[in-house]
Amino acid sequence: MLNKFKIRQLILVFAFILLLIRLNVFVNTFLMILLYAQLFITLPSFAYAQLNFPFIDIIASVALFVIIIIYLLTAGKRIKLFHRNIDFTSFVIVLLLSFFLFAPVITDKNPDFQKDLSVTKLLPPFSRVKVLHLKDDYINSDNIVDKFVRLKDYVIKKSFDESIIFIDSISTGDKLDYYQGGTAFPIANNKVIFKNNIPLITTRTFILGTDELGRDIFTRLIYGARISLFVGLGSVLISMLLGLFLGFFAGYSEGFVDTVLNRLTDMFLAFPVIFFIILVIALFGNSLPGVIVVLGFSGWMSLFKIVRSEVISIKNKDFFVSAQLIGLSNINLLLKETLPYIFIPVVVNLVFQYGNIILAEAALSYLGLGTGSSYPSWGSMIEAGQNYLSQAWWMILFPGLALFLALFAANSLGRKISSYFNPQLKT
Amino acid sequence: MRKEIFKVLVKRCFTSILVLFLLLTFLFILLRISPGDPSLKFISPELSPKLTALVKKSFSLEDSFLTQYKTFILNLSKGEFGISYTYRVPVVQVIKRTLPFTIIFSLVSFIIQISCGFLLSLKAVKRINGITDRIISKTSLAVYAIPSFVAGVFLIYIFSEKLNVLPSSGLCSFDTESYTTIQKLFDYAQHLILPLITLSLNGIAVFFKYLRDNLEEVYNKPFVEYLRANGFTEKDIVRKHIIPNAINPLISIAGVELGLLFGGALITEVIFALPGMGRLTVNAILSRDYPLVTGCTFVAGILVILTNLCADIIKAVLDKRIAKGILN
Repeated sequence: MLNKFKIRQLILVFAFILLLIRLNVFVNTFLMILLYAQLFITLPSFAYAQLNFPFIDIIASVALFVIIIIYLLTAGKRIKLFHRNIDFTSFVIVLLLSFFLFAPVITDKNPDFQKDLSVTKLLPPFSRVKVLHLKDDYINSDNIVDKFVRLKDYVIKKSFDESIIFIDSISTGDKLDYYQGGTAFPIANNKVIFKNNIPLITTRTFILGTDELGRDIFTRLIYGARISLFVGLGSVLISMLLGLFLGFFAGYSEGFVDTVLNRLTDMFLAFPVIFFIILVIALFGNSLPGVIVVLGFSGWMSLFKIVRSEVISIKNKDFFVSAQLIGLSNINLLLKETLPYIFIPVVVNLVFQYGNIILAEAALSYLGLGTGSSYPSWGSMIEAGQNYLSQAWWMILFPGLALFLALFAANSLGRKISSYFNPQLKT
Repeated sequence: MRKEIFKVLVKRCFTSILVLFLLLTFLFILLRISPGDPSLKFISPELSPKLTALVKKSFSLEDSFLTQYKTFILNLSKGEFGISYTYRVPVVQVIKRTLPFTIIFSLVSFIIQISCGFLLSLKAVKRINGITDRIISKTSLAVYAIPSFVAGVFLIYIFSEKLNVLPSSGLCSFDTESYTTIQKLFDYAQHLILPLITLSLNGIAVFFKYLRDNLEEVYNKPFVEYLRANGFTEKDIVRKHIIPNAINPLISIAGVELGLLFGGALITEVIFALPGMGRLTVNAILSRDYPLVTGCTFVAGILVILTNLCADIIKAVLDKRIAKGILN
């Protein structure tokens, strides 16, 4: 049933669902952008001070969303890739990519949001929690700055929220008491928003449950996808550059440098690389760029082998020799003559490498050596869940599943690419 | 011929030792240029300055880089790695305590991986693209994508938390002193079932994939058809002709895999709190126990080199035509 649809349709369906669920976010973001444009003209210094990562993030997400939809509906119609049938792999890849690009739009919570632990911690999936709304201290004015700040607070989720309280239940009567974990807390009547003379209480659903600190697992999962894919992207880029240049250099020059590099690669390939990664991270500290660089430096060996052997085999071919004789520089020899020739094996290798790096990043986070606690990561989520194994299986199942799907998708994408370009090769 | 092979072997051993030496040097440099001073852990502010200087001197980390390197090389040539900072005993003794476990554990896991992969691929290849083949192939692809820490934690959840039939961590129970030998062995086995499954799952998938593809390739070769036409039984063909032909490329993969296992199954050891080389190495790294890190790397390096060498020798013995090419 699934494979009757095209990838283009899948993306459009995703986009439509997202638009339906988060219509208010989209509309408010547009309003915010308009206000911001106004502010930028009238109060440039204030506008400049408002620029931070979450702000740019949500604007970029919404803008990219609109651009992709328009592109798919117009020019993208003719692109062959989008007319391939859906299979499991492409489904997972589209899902993960949309997590990566539209994280702030997909979820309406901050990954670090935590409040009222006694009510929200270790909630199973699909649990609903009552929310008591308090009066906030926003001034209802027409001042453009106030309006902008209000909209911004609505669109960009913070890791704290003073205007709500998660409660188990509330007593009705003259004096209001709300209950959290069996304890009663009094609250003044004039602080609570009333609707039809009863306190305004809504419910909030935690689709995939919460962790030991009351944080929403669904949100953390989506932001974790960001970290995983981002680390993978950066590291693969570094591996690619290293593998290509060193491989070309070794294969092209041969002789002593080649022997040394080859021996070095053999050494790196034979030893368990994870220890090297841990050593470097433990000695020089773990930060996001550090992890990316170390993972990138630990993954260039297989690419090096491929590039080197290919370069040695094409070095004596006519087109290469004539290009050399024309006087192409070494860089041009690599980019214009060699790269197109070895493009496919390199891409296949890099896709597999991507899977390896996602796994390595998760393993590092699992060991507590990953990107630190400042970013939610699938590996660290699993590590935290291990301590609550008997009470909260959902803390491990969902990140584990996400990791499994990402790895599976990367592996089968690699196989698909190689069988697409070499149909005679059995996979 | 034999003399030539011997010559090649000697050359190979020499380069291997050189590579190991380079690795240790690289490690030495990395450890020395990293920020932080491991001796500070043993100095409390109440110590007198004189004593502090004495303690610092005993680590001899204040010496110049070249002096340190010289002593390092001299000690290495004598087979000494120094005294572990954390355990306060010679590094050799610390490693001696953990190495047997790692070797037994890896070997058992390796045997499980090879035999399971072998049996499954034989089953699958009986009817290529049949229903069994497709089920096992698809499952193996899925199993290959399961990270070992996810698998391990889930095994603990199912078998230790829910069913409560197997212990979740450690190598043996607390009260093993009163047990008889058989009971002790049973206890060890019970503790090692889940770790072995965790460690072996990915390897089984890898071996299955390689073996299945090789077997399929050999199955489609004309000589198999010829044998069949000559009236050999299917069993004979598989046992005497197909398997020996298909198994050759697998040996070098097996060598690399075993070498990696000997280095320490870090994740599995961490999940199940097992006393193996992987955890020892990482703990040494995290506590900046320089001599122990060096010792662990040395042992892992030697084991990796030996297993790869063994794999190549086996390959050369099986196929004498390519002996020289492989060993070089």
